[in-house]
Amino acid sequence: MNILVRHPVVAGALAFVASASILVLANDVWLMRLTELLIWILFAASLNFLISFSGMVSFGHAAYFGLGCYGFALSAKAGVPIIVAVMIGPLVATFAAAIYGALCVRLNKIYFAMLTLACAEITYSVIHQWYDLTGGDTGLTQFAPPSLDLGARGFALLVLACCAGGLLVIRLVLNAPLGLVIRSVGENPGRAAALGFSQRQVQWVAFVIAGSLAGVAGTLYSAFQGNAFPDYAGMRFSLAPLVMVILGGLGSFFGPVIGAIVEKGLTGVLSHYVVFWELIMGVVVITVTVYSPHGFWGLIKRVINKGAPRG
Amino acid sequence: MLFVQIVNGLMEGVMLFMVASGLTLIFGVSRIVNFAHGSFFMLGAFLTYQFAPHILPGTMLGFVLTVIMAGMLTAFVGACFEVIVLRRIYHAEELLQLIVTVGMVMIMRDVVRVVWGMNDLATAIPDAMSGAVNVDSYWFPIYNLGVMGIGLLVVVVLWAVVRFTRVGVLLRAATDDRGMVALLGINQAYIFTGVFASGSLLAGIAGGLAAPLGSINFLLDTTVITGAFLVVVIGGLGSLSGAFAAALAIGVLKAVGVLYFPRAAMVTAFVIMAIVLIVRSFKARG
Repeated sequence: MNILVRHPVVAGALAFVASASILVLANDVWLMRLTELLIWILFAASLNFLISFSGMVSFGHAAYFGLGCYGFALSAKAGVPIIVAVMIGPLVATFAAAIYGALCVRLNKIYFAMLTLACAEITYSVIHQWYDLTGGDTGLTQFAPPSLDLGARGFALLVLACCAGGLLVIRLVLNAPLGLVIRSVGENPGRAAALGFSQRQVQWVAFVIAGSLAGVAGTLYSAFQGNAFPDYAGMRFSLAPLVMVILGGLGSFFGPVIGAIVEKGLTGVLSHYVVFWELIMGVVVITVTVYSPHGFWGLIKRVINKGAPRG
Repeated sequence: MLFVQIVNGLMEGVMLFMVASGLTLIFGVSRIVNFAHGSFFMLGAFLTYQFAPHILPGTMLGFVLTVIMAGMLTAFVGACFEVIVLRRIYHAEELLQLIVTVGMVMIMRDVVRVVWGMNDLATAIPDAMSGAVNVDSYWFPIYNLGVMGIGLLVVVVLWAVVRFTRVGVLLRAATDDRGMVALLGINQAYIFTGVFASGSLLAGIAGGLAAPLGSINFLLDTTVITGAFLVVVIGGLGSLSGAFAAALAIGVLKAVGVLYFPRAAMVTAFVIMAIVLIVRSFKARG
């Protein structure tokens, strides 16, 4: 166990190989579930990068997820080759994050959160009301071949590669000098400014990175579901990854992975057995927040650390 | 037509203010962004639906009693939530406080779904308040005007309480500087619970008054909370007078906007919110 904690790269590589073999062996039902889970992990990880490391709590992260969906869906519908369309999705999201981000990072804390919420709601409303382009409430369907013609298994592996790639990017950024600057601004903007770093610039870069990764997740989600709805940019899709990040545990790299697994797992199991599963989820969310602010990952870490020798 | 829409807008504005006032009060004192505020509104609406046929149905008095009862019960639920959960995390990060209220949204939504089902429900306007009055060859439903009157009454009462009573002084003091109020030997716990319950009461009453006006369903929580956030942010977080002005402005803007740009009304409101925040960011830097 100890070596896994000391060398996250080893742990990550092992997890990747293990996940890939599970995907190769899984039956069709599980393949679908796991594919969706991987997309959510990527989405939650991109938000966690903002919240836990850059000190920015976004209430509107779904904007970039939704724009990833629609960027892909609309361009595929317009006849752009699929391979190009999957690039356009994240690009649209990145572009939007660059514009929204430039405005949002001017504000702090609760006002930042409120402006991200406003940006997301504007995006949602535009998608919702621009009937001629987006189809409004009815959404878009049948714009791309199911699973991008890769087969369910091939598509699942592609999603795994993207998810792992996304996590790797976050890890590399965090460990690079850029990441150190981002983290220092996140922890203590005043001190970072004293060291000569522009808070706004650094936060903007982090915001754009998070937005583009959410765009990748959105594009994959749209390809996976074979549709795009305005809801994907709506409040529900902004809150869901937030809940995952909290359940997993603030301030940790693997938190959102655990959080997404717990959230999706619990929802799946509960909704299978009881009608009022959302109530139970609500109670779980409140209990975890109040009693274990570091979430499930915090609990796991405590267990591992107990077993390992101190030093 | 414009005249009618302005009146309708003012009425919606008053309703918006009733919801937003509770949200801004709670934020002002406890610094909690209460996502569950829309859920309390929804609860008020459903409780009104539930009680209306049993308390002097059709009469004005019965309806007022119904709404008050729905509001009180909502306030009780709010107070319980504050005492059992929120009180434990006032010291924690803002984000955690927020997530707790999101958890409450999930709970309330499911409670409503299990108790009242997934279908749209409707409750009738009390007979005594049905019908319409003719003003300048336009017809205005008496109920809507009545709601506007009640809403304005609430505004006046709220203003008077905050301005002239000891409770109001404490409230303003707590909004200004919590620590100082505690140093003066005032039990903060009472203030926090009281404010949260009052905020929930306002949301519950607003929900009750809105119940006969549209369909009652479990999606009310998110629609209401986004509108309330708009008002509170545009008016300035924690400011009651700001919220009042913002609520009326947004109500009128939406109602009039529907006439000219039917599709852009919702976007416009959020664009205004964004502009207000951005302007604020420039001001803050001097």
